[in-house]
Amino acid sequence: MAEKGKMNKEHLGGVVRLREEHQKVVKDCESRMQHWKKVSGDYDTLNNRLKTLPDQLSYDITVPFGPLAFMPGKLVHTNEVTALLGDNWFAKVSAKQAQKIVSHRMKYMKNELDDLSKTAKDFEARVGLAEDLENISPGKGDYVDIREDARNIEAAVNKGRQRTAHKPNSKPKFDAMLDLKEENEENEEEAEDGGSRKCTITEEELWAKLDELEKLEQLEDEQDRLCDSADMNGEDTSSLSSEEEKDGDAAPSVNGLSLKPSRTSAPHSKAPPFTDRKPEGDDDEEEEGNRLPTIFFSHAMEPKKVRINTGKNTMLKFSERKEQKEHSKRKKKNGHSHHELHKITTPVDIYRLFVDVKNGEPIPRKSILKSRSRENSVCSDTSESSAADFEERRMVGRSFSHDEATHSDTSDGITEEDSPTAVPLHHASRFEAFSGTVVEKDPMPSAVPHLTIAPPALPTILERKQEEVAPDIAPPQEAPKRVSKFKAARLQQK
Amino acid sequence: MAEAIQKKLKGEVEKYSQMQKDVSKGVSARQKLETQLAENNIVKEELDLLDITNTVYKLIGPVLVKQDLDEAKATVTKRLEYINGEIQRYEALLKDLEKKSEQHREVLSSLQQEFQKAQGLAVGKV
Repeated sequence: MAEKGKMNKEHLGGVVRLREEHQKVVKDCESRMQHWKKVSGDYDTLNNRLKTLPDQLSYDITVPFGPLAFMPGKLVHTNEVTALLGDNWFAKVSAKQAQKIVSHRMKYMKNELDDLSKTAKDFEARVGLAEDLENISPGKGDYVDIREDARNIEAAVNKGRQRTAHKPNSKPKFDAMLDLKEENEENEEEAEDGGSRKCTITEEELWAKLDELEKLEQLEDEQDRLCDSADMNGEDTSSLSSEEEKDGDAAPSVNGLSLKPSRTSAPHSKAPPFTDRKPEGDDDEEEEGNRLPTIFFSHAMEPKKVRINTGKNTMLKFSERKEQKEHSKRKKKNGHSHHELHKITTPVDIYRLFVDVKNGEPIPRKSILKSRSRENSVCSDTSESSAADFEERRMVGRSFSHDEATHSDTSDGITEEDSPTAVPLHHASRFEAFSGTVVEKDPMPSAVPHLTIAPPALPTILERKQEEVAPDIAPPQEAPKRVSKFKAARLQQK
Repeated sequence: MAEAIQKKLKGEVEKYSQMQKDVSKGVSARQKLETQLAENNIVKEELDLLDITNTVYKLIGPVLVKQDLDEAKATVTKRLEYINGEIQRYEALLKDLEKKSEQHREVLSSLQQEFQKAQGLAVGKV
């Protein structure tokens, strides 16, 4: 009501002013009309004069002589009139011709008068309207103001959730990826807990997820177009990153749950998007993993590709498919090592997953966000600077990083054809150490190892490993030093 | 901070008032041209009414100079054209001035907002 009152006041003020302006115009019109009317009267008399003037050859008149005197005189050449035509033009005309001119002018004047009267009428009407408006606002009179709140439109536009513009490196993108994964999970979840989780996700979030999915699909298309083969190595790292993001999201995310422990060893990739989530999510989920009951879900959907903006004009493309490919590739060659890997009882075991090759020395994997490590990551680095390097190292990197020494891109094609169903089984068995069987994100566990282990973290873990793990792993690393995979491999070979 | 903005605001306001003056000048000039146009139209028509026997004079200062009817007609026509051209020129000028004044108005409003904010801050601080 207060608002209405305010509006009425303003409204009233505006209306009053409007009315005043209209009245001004009307008055102006009226004054002009008066003027024209006077002129018209003058012309009438002139006309009459011209009519009668040629009647006599000359007239006796009293001629004004200056401002104070008059003189008797005669008016001659009564038919000769010098008429002012306008704009300093004169014409000597006969009386009749002068009359013609006068009538012509009268016509013009009439037109002007008519226009003025029309305008006056118009503005009078507007004045009346303004008066009516004045009457409406304070509530008097018979007029009622009908207003309708247009909130429905807002709701439709926002789709239930306020969306704000975010910078490229900020969190919300992760939400998109996480939501994406969650949606995938939702589609295939079968457990009760999964069902309960679904309930918690409100309609609004679904809408938001749908939007994000759309975006991701677009990204997917772009990815397909751009670098299909180049993305191969990008999978693992991106999968890890996407998982990380997911962890930060809804707590009972089983995917994140199973991976959480594995990820603790993964050093916090310096990418801004990740670091925020990790510290928070890790603590929570690790605890929750113990409390939450088993969550079973399988992921059979076509994996989506996701882009992670890691700043510095680079984007890591994450593709689940590629993850799977990588994973299956690795699986092929690493069949024997799986037995070892299955038994994950200590963090050291987790660490094992994160090293590249165990042919004699575990080569720590670098952060995917560091340009050097990208060739082995699931993510493809779209930055211009590293693109060339990436291409070069791709072939080489693969041979080193993967346990199954994949040699060409063709193998990737083959692995692509692998049915994801075969892979999940491995993973399921692998994660028996945890409370729940996770069938969903197959490549993730294997992909995770690919990801970022900052060199500083290595020395400590390495030591532990040396203590606890069998001596089959020789640590030839100069741990504190940063060693590229290639160099390490080369050293190995030497 | 507030003072700087105030100064800026003053400068902008002056500029804007200058622009407004220009606009009004242009408008009045155009109006004058309009009346001249109308007048010359009448003159032309009236000259058409006359015939060759009528002598036409032109007032140049205090002198009425005899003119040929055809010459007069031609002169008036030329003047009409000239006036039309002037009107168009002035219209374009006015449009331009209007645009500029709009821009200026926006600048002014934004400055005003800044100033108010600064004022608010100053008040808050005090």
